[in-house]
Amino acid sequence: MKKFRLTLILVLTFLLLTSACLTQTTQTPVEQAPGETTLVVWDQFYREEESKVIETLNAEFEAAHPGVKIERETKVLADLQMTVKLALGETDGPDVAQVNQGRSDMGALVESGLLLPLDEYVSTYNWGNVFSSSVASRNSFTPDGKTFGQGSLFGVSPTAEVVGVFYNKGIFADHGWSIPTTFEDFEALLAEIKDAGITPISFGSLDGWNAIHEFSAIQHLLVNLDYINNLTYGVNNVSFDTPENQRAAQILSDWAKAGYFSEGFPGIGYDDSNNLFKAGEGAMTITGSWFAPELMTGTDQEFGFFLLPGFSGQPTMAIGGVGVPFAIRKSTEHADLAAEYLDWMISQRAAELWAQAGMVPAMSLPEDSQVDTDNIFGDTLLAWQTINKNNAVGHYIDWATPTFYDTLVSELQKLLGGVTTPADFTAAVEVDYANYLQEKSQ
Amino acid sequence: MKTGRHSYPGENKWKGLFYLLPALLIYLGFTFIPILETFRASFFDWNGFTEARTFIGFKNYINLFSDPLFLKAISNNLVFIIFYSIIPILIGLMLAAILTGQPIPGFGFFRTVFFLPQVISMVVVGVIWRWMFNPVSGPINQFLSLIGLDHWRQAWLGSFEYALPAVGSIGTWVQYGFCMVLFLAGMQRIPTEYYEAASLDGANGIKQFRHITIPGLKSEIGVAMITTMIAALRVFDLIYSTTRGGPGDSTLVTGFLIYRAAILNNRIGYGAAIATVLTIIILALSLLIRRFMAEEKEPA
Amino acid sequence: MSIRWKRLLPRYLVLIVFMLIVLLPIWGMLMSAFKTDTQIASSPFTLPETLTLENFKQAWTVGKFNIFFKNSVIVTTAVVISSVFLSTLSGYAFGQLPMPGKNLLFPLMLLGYMVPFEAVIIPLYNWMDALGLRNTYLALILPQIGLSVSFGTLWMSTFFENAPRELVDAATIDGCNRWQTLWLILWPLAQPATTTLIVLIFMWTWNEFLLALVMVQTEAMRTLPVGLAFFQGKYTSNLSLMAAGAIIVALPTVLIYVIFQRFFIRGMLGGAIKG
Repeated sequence: MKKFRLTLILVLTFLLLTSACLTQTTQTPVEQAPGETTLVVWDQFYREEESKVIETLNAEFEAAHPGVKIERETKVLADLQMTVKLALGETDGPDVAQVNQGRSDMGALVESGLLLPLDEYVSTYNWGNVFSSSVASRNSFTPDGKTFGQGSLFGVSPTAEVVGVFYNKGIFADHGWSIPTTFEDFEALLAEIKDAGITPISFGSLDGWNAIHEFSAIQHLLVNLDYINNLTYGVNNVSFDTPENQRAAQILSDWAKAGYFSEGFPGIGYDDSNNLFKAGEGAMTITGSWFAPELMTGTDQEFGFFLLPGFSGQPTMAIGGVGVPFAIRKSTEHADLAAEYLDWMISQRAAELWAQAGMVPAMSLPEDSQVDTDNIFGDTLLAWQTINKNNAVGHYIDWATPTFYDTLVSELQKLLGGVTTPADFTAAVEVDYANYLQEKSQ
Repeated sequence: MKTGRHSYPGENKWKGLFYLLPALLIYLGFTFIPILETFRASFFDWNGFTEARTFIGFKNYINLFSDPLFLKAISNNLVFIIFYSIIPILIGLMLAAILTGQPIPGFGFFRTVFFLPQVISMVVVGVIWRWMFNPVSGPINQFLSLIGLDHWRQAWLGSFEYALPAVGSIGTWVQYGFCMVLFLAGMQRIPTEYYEAASLDGANGIKQFRHITIPGLKSEIGVAMITTMIAALRVFDLIYSTTRGGPGDSTLVTGFLIYRAAILNNRIGYGAAIATVLTIIILALSLLIRRFMAEEKEPA
Repeated sequence: MSIRWKRLLPRYLVLIVFMLIVLLPIWGMLMSAFKTDTQIASSPFTLPETLTLENFKQAWTVGKFNIFFKNSVIVTTAVVISSVFLSTLSGYAFGQLPMPGKNLLFPLMLLGYMVPFEAVIIPLYNWMDALGLRNTYLALILPQIGLSVSFGTLWMSTFFENAPRELVDAATIDGCNRWQTLWLILWPLAQPATTTLIVLIFMWTWNEFLLALVMVQTEAMRTLPVGLAFFQGKYTSNLSLMAAGAIIVALPTVLIYVIFQRFFIRGMLGGAIKG
């Protein structure tokens, strides 16, 4: 290895000498004026409305902190997930970065000691008052990175998300349909919509990840919060191969067979199916509240949002949680400033800006909020507040194991394609889950 | 290669090395040593961003050959060989057979077009075909409806039955023009007298094709096989920009598995083991085809 | 109709059918770049009603293809120039110069010409990281040169081996040393071979995906194919914009191909066993 490094360095020196013109084109660090601090921040708010919120907050932060410059870099989530792990290990990596929750991201980074524990700042900034403990546990890991949901806080999330049902108000009004209040009503409505010759649920599973939401939204109605917590945090040795999960899979596969999803849904991407829904094709679509802002502009249709209703007599629990949190690189020289930035991102001002952009903030809105809630945004905000109040905020189950996402996507596509049965599905996913539990206990 | 063939009396016999050295160093540093390092890494358990790596012997390989995903990926690569290699070579030979004989005016234009998919980035090819195969707005399904074959409409890239052949046929689309141009170029080397003599002997077109054209094209067929098979084994860009291995794992290939294991899931050793197996298969196949071609040539 | 035409017509028909299969998807994408999404859906292959470059402007600025384009040009130029220069030297060494261990070195170089990037990407990824070179142009340029000189050496050594012996001897008698013989006598003769090498390395580098995907994480350093792949993640639903982006990526290689196709096809057919 050492010998190789030497060769490599020789080669590089040769290159640097012979091709001086090339090296000039490589990135050189930005010249810094004395007394000026640059805070490098990586976020994944690339959509226009979201991006504006961050830009406003950044500008206000810079104005409030003379001599501080924020160098912002925006990435799509998939891109961020891939790149942030290496970047946080670098001395010139981002000081603050959004790090996806879950084991293969935040967990792996905590385990490698690349993220700064925020315990100290929780008291400094009184974050205990901003978030409930259940919300905080979603961004917490034990210091060895092995146990999710406990230990130190490693990130703060500015936005909240809840998965539910978007519906086309025009189509509902034309046919005299109303928002169903039980799951049985919901299924009856699906049949009725189908009979009316309309696509009941606009959905495409080509990209795969949204199929997890589709399945898990139903699953959340059949299990209790403890189960979802145990499953996601990998504690108390629960199994995935349960009658409830099988039943949820059965319902999903029945919907696919009954033609409740868009025609050719296995070949349609997530954005494409959203676009079809936005254009008025399809009465409903099941996805997260992050979709609301897109439905507020650029369309003549009117939309609403409701939580997927529980089975009669059963409580409604929904997939939800807080958005991708901001975390701090452990080796940063500006830890205090970075923490102040985090606090800035979850301020009441931030809450107001997110609400204006149509995104549900994770923080409560200020008393004097000017935001119009008589629209689809109001619907999603209400849904979030409801599940929060009822302690019915579920989880994205794909965080459960490092490979759970890939496994779920692949197995759900098989289930939806009619290649496997619900029993096969839960059994196949359980293999992944049991392997992980076993590996973890070693 | 004959050593020192070109040396002049009194010339430093090391001279060539100075000319070779710059290229050799870069090649060693960025290609050859990394190949060895991949091989070495395949015996370790390592997440890639901490220093700790554990030597685990052949465990990665043992896991590999009991991993249904890897086996599926390999078998998909083999299916891709049919679409990337065998079908294009057959189409290429067929077109070449049809076009034998007198020159065709304007052929240069056709040749330009046939070769076009070879020069376009596979990501662009993926974008084009993701659109073509779109179940709702894609031209393929629209065309099927137009000619009254509504029941033939499919969710192409998302369908368990059709995703693999659909992605595979993109490979056919890319490769057949290349094969055809390759074979046509090769046929120019076959002396026309052979055909004339065969005609005098009463051999028909099919016979001429079998006994003159195919043997004459042996080396071109070999080149086409190596090129297209390697393309089929390393396919990555196309999968990345169309299905990402889905639906389920029906279009999962080894290249994508390496990327997923080593880059996305932090399993460097495991990814390195897959990469090593893939490299060995590719090298073995190239050498095999070369050897085969060389043997066939000698008696002739 | 003459007999000649009667014989040619079926051949043309077959040619045209297979040509249309190649051309239609590309044509459809090209036309889409000038239309709106609804126009594309209703008539994918017709000419656009109005000639608007709006999609290209959008892709160029909003989609940041201007940055990707610049990166691709820098990386490709550096790789092509260095590789062709180094390959000329190494090919000359193998084809013309005395050198010990040729029998060993030649197959060694050849190996790189057959292995895929997948075989080297993992250690490269970690080393570039260790050397602090990730997210620099060098991380894209150096490995690409490494693979290119492998093919380049093979290609150029074939040329130099077959170079007329009398010419080289005459040059030596006239007092040229080896360096002068290479650049004054043989280099001008090598133009067809170098042109082929240039266009091939240009195409491979321009279209390279895996290396650029893995080595570069910041948007500002991405090359065109990777930029397009992520663009697809962001704007799949906006087909006309995607089409414009795809055209920007494909146009340079297609142009170079059309201009230099003689060299191009010769290179690809001359045993260019790289995909």
